[in-house]
Parts: sequence; C-alpha cells; structure tokens
Amino acid sequence: MSAEAVHRDVLCPFCGLGCDDLEVAVSGRAVRAVRACGDAARLLERSGEPPPPCRVDGRPAPFEAAVAAAAGLLASRRAIAIAGLGADMEGLGRLYDLAMTAGASLDHAASGGLFANLDRLARKGWVAATLAEVRNRCDLLVVLGPDPSAAFARFFERALPAPALAAGDAAAPMFVDRTVRRRVCVLGGPLSAGGRRALAPHDVAEVPLDAAALPAVAAALATALKGGDLAGAGLPPEIAATVSELAGVLAKSRYAVFAWDAARLPAADAARVAEAAAEAVAALSRTTRAAVFPLGGRDNVVGAHQLALWRFGWPLRTAVGPGGARHAPDLYETRAALADADLLLFASALRPDAPPAFARGPVIALGHAQTVFPREPDVFIPVGTPGVDHAGHVFRMDQVVCLPLAALRPAALPSLAEAAGAILAALEARP
Amino acid sequence: MSRRIRITSGRIYDPANGVADAVRDLLIADGCIVADAPPSAHETRIDAAGAVVMAGGIDLHSHIAGGKVNLARLLMSEDRAAFPEPEGAFCGCGGGRAAPTTHETGCRYSQMGYTAVFEPAVVGANARHAHLEMADIPNIDTGGFLVLGNDDFLLRLIAEGEGQQAVNDYVAWMLKATQCCAVKIVNPGGISAFKFNARALDLDEAGPFYGLTPRRILTTLQRAVTELGVPHPIHLHGCNLGVPGNVATTLATIGATEGFPLHLTHVQFHAYGIEGDRRFSSGAAEIAAAVNASPHISVDVGQIMFGQTVTASADLMSQYRNHRLASPNKWIGMDIECDAACGVVPFQYRDQSFVNALQWAIGLELFLLIEDPWRVYLTTDHPNGGPFTSYPHLIRLLMDKDFRDHHLGRIHPAARAHTRLSEIRREYTLEEIAVVTRAAPARTLGLKDRGHLGPGARADVVLYADQADREAMFAAPRLVLKDGAEVVRDGAITALARGRTYAVHAAYDGAMDRRLDQWFDAAIGLKAKHFRIADGEIRGGEGPELVELQP
Repeated sequence: MSAEAVHRDVLCPFCGLGCDDLEVAVSGRAVRAVRACGDAARLLERSGEPPPPCRVDGRPAPFEAAVAAAAGLLASRRAIAIAGLGADMEGLGRLYDLAMTAGASLDHAASGGLFANLDRLARKGWVAATLAEVRNRCDLLVVLGPDPSAAFARFFERALPAPALAAGDAAAPMFVDRTVRRRVCVLGGPLSAGGRRALAPHDVAEVPLDAAALPAVAAALATALKGGDLAGAGLPPEIAATVSELAGVLAKSRYAVFAWDAARLPAADAARVAEAAAEAVAALSRTTRAAVFPLGGRDNVVGAHQLALWRFGWPLRTAVGPGGARHAPDLYETRAALADADLLLFASALRPDAPPAFARGPVIALGHAQTVFPREPDVFIPVGTPGVDHAGHVFRMDQVVCLPLAALRPAALPSLAEAAGAILAALEARP
Repeated sequence: MSRRIRITSGRIYDPANGVADAVRDLLIADGCIVADAPPSAHETRIDAAGAVVMAGGIDLHSHIAGGKVNLARLLMSEDRAAFPEPEGAFCGCGGGRAAPTTHETGCRYSQMGYTAVFEPAVVGANARHAHLEMADIPNIDTGGFLVLGNDDFLLRLIAEGEGQQAVNDYVAWMLKATQCCAVKIVNPGGISAFKFNARALDLDEAGPFYGLTPRRILTTLQRAVTELGVPHPIHLHGCNLGVPGNVATTLATIGATEGFPLHLTHVQFHAYGIEGDRRFSSGAAEIAAAVNASPHISVDVGQIMFGQTVTASADLMSQYRNHRLASPNKWIGMDIECDAACGVVPFQYRDQSFVNALQWAIGLELFLLIEDPWRVYLTTDHPNGGPFTSYPHLIRLLMDKDFRDHHLGRIHPAARAHTRLSEIRREYTLEEIAVVTRAAPARTLGLKDRGHLGPGARADVVLYADQADREAMFAAPRLVLKDGAEVVRDGAITALARGRTYAVHAAYDGAMDRRLDQWFDAAIGLKAKHFRIADGEIRGGEGPELVELQP
C-alpha cells in the first residue's frame, strides 16, 4: 500500500464552473476526493484496479489492434457520426482532425442547452458577464427556472460569495455596497436546501412558478423593462404584479445579472428564456448596466464549441470532410445524425457515459474506463481522464477562461488525443 | 544540415540594411540568411531574375485569435458561407473573410507574402484561448499584445499610490503569465468606467470608483514598459474612438507622452474633426503634422475598406455606442473578469455613405501626409476597418495616384469635397512599402532577426513578379519561403509550416507572486497558478520564442 498524497488546488473539469480549489487524495492508482462537491467527488473516484484492456468485438485486444480495427471500420463507412465529445481541447483537436480526414459530423452530448442559447446569441447577440464580474458587481441576480445548484453545486457560492472582509479590501464583492445585502430573485425554483444555504447572506425572493409559465413570465419581464404594458401578457394578476415590481427593482439596480440553465428547460422554452433575458439586459442597458450569465458547459461543451468555431467557422452540429464543412444543426444533432449514420464514433473521456442507442452500424467507443455498455461496441479503447490521468485544457462555462488540468496519477491508459491520433495515423497509412 | 539555397539575381528591397533595388544573390542555410559565399554545386538555386525580393511581411495589428474573434465568427455566418476555403490538399474545412478560421487566416496571409502577424488585444483572462488558436494558425509566426489599463488590480495599485516599481512588477508578472510580447491599452480607464455605467471618458476626466484619469493610466504604463525594457512602446487605442472631434483628444494624447515613446493604433479612427455642415471632418493633416514633429510617436493607420466586415474590440464603451449601426443587425458585448471587456459589431462600410467615404479618405491622407515611413505601419485593424485580404488593394492605393484618384471619384461627392486627397501627389515607392509592411514593424517589436534580409535573419523571403498593377503583384507572390522552406508558389499554398509565438519575459520581485495569489483567491475566484500560462502550453509544448529586452 503506497502512502496517500493529497493534491491541493485541483481543477475540476466536469460541470463547467471550473472550481480549482479541490483537494484530492491519491494512493497508488486509487483516487478519492477530500474536498469537492458530490458530483466531482463521484467523477474523481477511482479504485486502485488496473484499467481494462481495449476490446474488439468484445474480446480483449492490444491497443494497436483496436486502433487498426477502428481505422478499418472508419475507412469502410460513408456516414460517420462523432458524438459525445466529452474531452479536453487536445482530445477534441485530434477528433476533429480525424473527422476532417474520415468525413464525419460532430456534436457534443451536452450541446442541447448551448443550441437553445445560440438561437438568440448567433442571431441577435447579447451582453454577457464572466464569473469574476458577477462575483464583484452583481447587486441583483435573477434566476430564471430551476435551482442552478442541482447541476452546478457551487454556483451561488462562486458567483455571490459572502463578503468576508471589510469594504476596501481586495476581495469579492469589490464593487457592490457592502452595507446592503445583494438581492437574488428566483423565478421558478424552488431552491434546494443547499441553494438556500449558499444564498443565506443575501436577500432572497422566491417566486414559485409552474414550469410551463416560465417563458411567458420571462418575456413579460423584458416587456415591462421596455416600458410595455403587461395587460396583454395573459399572466395571473398576482404574477403580473410581481413582474412589474421586479422590473422596478431591476431599473434601480446597478448591475443586474440574469442566469438560467438552458439544458434543464424544454428546448423551445429555453430559447424563449434566453431571448427574454437578452432583451431584458438590452432594455436595462439604456440607463444602467446588466448582463446575462448563461449556465451550462458540462464536459467541456464550451471548448468543443469554441474549437469548432475557430477551425470550421461554424458551431457544432457540423459535418466536415474532404469537401469542406456543412453546418446543418437539424441534420447533425446527435439523434438526427444517428438516424442516417452508418457508424458511430463515441468519445467520452470525462465520465463513464454509454453511447446513445445505435443499431445502423458499428460503434467505436473511445471511452472512460468504467463505462458500462448496454450494447458492446465493436471497438472499445479505454482512455484516461484529463485532470486525473493526464494534463489537458477545458473551458469554463462563461466561454472566456480556459483552464489547465494536471495529472493526479501516472497514466495507465492513452489519452483521447493519443487514441484518436493513432487511429488517424492508421487511417492515413491505409493504401 | 539542410541543403543551402541560393536565390539568384533578384532585385533586393531590404531597407533595414539600406538596400533598395540592388540585384544580387541571397544565400540561405538552416532556415536563416547567411553571408554570401562562392556558389557551390550542393546548392538549390532559385532564379529570381526580374522579381522583387523582400523579407516576409509583418502585420503588427490584426485581430486573428481569441474570444472576440470567435464571437465574430459566430455572428458572421453569411461571410463564412460566402467564402469557404478552396477545396484541395490544403483545405482546413474553414473559411470566412471578415472573420476567417485559423487555418484560413494562416493560408491567406502567407499567400500575400506575410510570415508574421500579431494579435493586438489579448485579454489576460482569455490569453490561454488566444494561444490555443494561434497554435492552430499555419505558416505565420504570431504573438499577442496584452490588454492592460482597465484591469482592476492595476487601477487599484495606481489609485492607492503604490508607486511605479509595484506597477512594473505587476506588468512583468502579467506579461509572463499571459505569454504576450507587448502591452496594449484600450480606452485607458474607459472600459472599466463603462462597467460603472459611465458612457464616455476623456483624457483628463477622472473615471468612476478609482478616480484615475486616462492620462495617468497611460503615462504610468508607458513608464512601466520603458523601464522593463519591453521593445514595443505602449500600443494605444486611445479615448473617444470614432467620436467626431476626437482629433483634439489624439493631439492631447501625443502631448501627454512626457517624452516616452508611444504607438497610436488605428489612428484613422481617432482623427475626426467637427468642421463643416455635417460636423464631421478630417483631422488627418493635424495628426500628421503632430506625428511628423514628434519622433517618439509611431502609428498604424487602420485604413477602412468598403464592404462587409465586423468590428471586434475590447472597447465595449465604444462598441455599445456603435451597436445601433450594426449591419447585419446583431452584436455581442461582454464584461470580462475584472480585466477588460469585448464588443463585436458587424459593419458595412459604404462608399456612398458620407461618413464612411470620409473615413476612407482620412486613412489615406494619414498614410500620405506622415513623412517618415518608419513610423507608419500598414494595417486595416483587421477586421475592424476591413479584412486583411484587402492589403494588396490598399498598397496599390498608396503606390498609384491615378488608381487612387479613380477610386476617389467614386465616393460620396460631399466626402470628396471634404478631403484634400486629390491634391496629394505622393506615391509610395517599393522601398517604402517594404518599410511599412516589414522593416518598421519588426524594428518596433524588437524582432532583430525579422523584417530584413541581412545575415542572421530568418529566411522568410518573398519573391514578387514586378507588375505595374501593384494590387495583382502583392496579391500573389511568385514564391514565399518560411524559415527557408517553400510555402507558397505563384500565389497558391504548396506546404503548411508551423509557426512560433513571441513573448517577452521581464524579471519581477517575487513578492508580486504572493500578492497576486491573494488577489486571484479573494477577488477573482480563480487560482493565480491556473491563470498563469506555462511555457510548455505554448504551441503544443514548443514554448515561446523570447524577444530580447531593450533596457
């Protein structure tokens, strides 16, 4: 039994909030979180077991044989869908290279919320803030929809830390009046016990809403901020009154922030909520400052999006290949792409997610070692986890900050970048 | 050792070494220019008879990488669809002209004979992203200018009167942490002021919260880069960008420099008067006179070119002012991490718009009225004034008065009446083009092995067929060598080469490490050690190429 070493200031790549103060104990190959949220602790946990071997057709195979089998399958297919994409920038870079050579569509497992937001962002734009701006400036946070703590356990703690030091000290919040509590208004909710605990230092108002009512209420808020009449909004009078009152408070705020988790709303509702939040900020910006802070970013979906934009000039849900790139979000959304595909290449280095159901052709999985497959893939290459087994980079949810992950233990598996790079080399070496 | 290359009988334009139109051989070994030696049988010979030979082009101000460029790509879907990369062996599945993809950026630049391009607005919090993008750009070397002057740590240091040494330590810490090679100031204090809802901030106006004037921020940072020995002076995007009457601010800024060198970037956007019935006029003559009289001032022009583009800037105060002019009608703004901001606004410059047409004329007036080409660098502030692919057209406008007059005849008539462009006889010579596109940018950036063709220089060499149509000549070189290896022939890509990234590392007091550890923990909510970019993160482990300090 080797001695346990505690790593401090460990970066977390999972939910997108980019917490970098985790403590993790490593003993031999075993990994155990000492200080982390529940999700991170579960996803960091490793037994000391040696990693599984590659498998081809369900039978253990050497890495080289699995790589050759994957290249052979890719070379023989015409409609390849690459899905999952839960990986660091290095792994994504090699996967995109592979897609360009083999010809394939690209989508991330957590891109649903992103695309609901893009419906507003790419069409009209918005004004957003990054996490440190929210920490230091936000005097009124409006949460639209369910409690963010469920998916982003430490969001409130990170975004609205309790003022620990006297005014004038270089600590968040630097630019809000510390003699007045920051305000939080939750339209929807309800807040969990943990959410309420994290918000205890602040002045919190919860407005319970029927989930289905959220888009209309959010739109009414934007209307009110533009000076419009809520009479035609079809809201119950007490809700209309609450919205009017909130609009009045917002107009007096110095830096209001609107947060929502598009992934936890029905897609059409999410797009309407994003639209309303962006319009509310536009209306407020005429006289004061305000910003949106869209929640999301699981498994580096933001990095996958950024890389697609700088490589191809399009967001995800794009097919690339020797003929160039074609962006068709309706066609290349994972489920739609799989309806036409003849091969699924599924990559998931960050969590043991199984590939989506697919019966039209072979499945190649470049996956987390602990993945349990409902259907045995034709080729399985277990890969290391960035931030556990090897270094790498992931983006934080606010799209600006890119973070450097470090290895916690010696790698016993190839990284996704190495696996995808080896398949690409094998593919290019084929006659 | 690679085979020696001899480029024979070219007409060499190498102004850094005092060479203009001299026919002679150029010898290359191991990726560098070497002193001429007797011909040997073991040389590759490249016949350059009749060709104009210059060092690789250097663009010191072009927004090619990072978060705001990616937001521009997101907004510019029509531009992306209209300009896909050409299919073939060197297609990177990208495209776009106003906001091109990384691969497209490298290919189009090298096809024009450029071999180094500098991203002039790296926001510290986004630096790692900018470096990941730069590593994905083939065929050109890159470097980033770090945006300072609105970052809360700095403003706090100055406001609390901590002294110049603390500022110097901080600037050195930040340059190393972000792996940048110069310091840019965007609207000093103005980006921060906009976060407190101020909508304008003039040079001598005290900003909110910190009570600092832009002048104080500017002179403090000028002193810092000078004392640290950063070769490029402060690269300043001044106050009041785009505001009619801002010529007064720009002249006052030139007067505020206290003798420290200063680079005024995209000065065209800062050269507007309020004369005439439309309250918008050219301030180019006044700016040019001030620059001519001030040897410590350099500029790049930020020429506007007619057509569709997108403006991407850290100056959210100005971009918010301009967003109502967005075309197509969409825009993105962002307040960034107690560091800076960004604003991305698509824009169409129209020759039948009085304002746009006069902006075009003002840029050309500046190019032609500033006498010393060593202090003017050719830029369109890509993509803010126009895409960099318009450089060959711009070069012809500068070199060919008839061509210029022809285009002047097509712009809005009132704008034509408001410019004295037709009276300016000057035509740039090939030697002057070599200065403004190569020699001068290399010199100001401190790149001793770039921008010239003397022994020891990197063998970034461009052969242009001499043509009367200068636009055609500069659009498609006969040959481009990057570090001695061919990457372009007859205007087409023939190979992809990996570039390098320049950075400046200056020493600082270790106490600054501890202060920033605390700042990042308490104020920002991110560990300083995770903000800092290690050498090994640059260019997939290759690390930065360090620019020598000039103390």
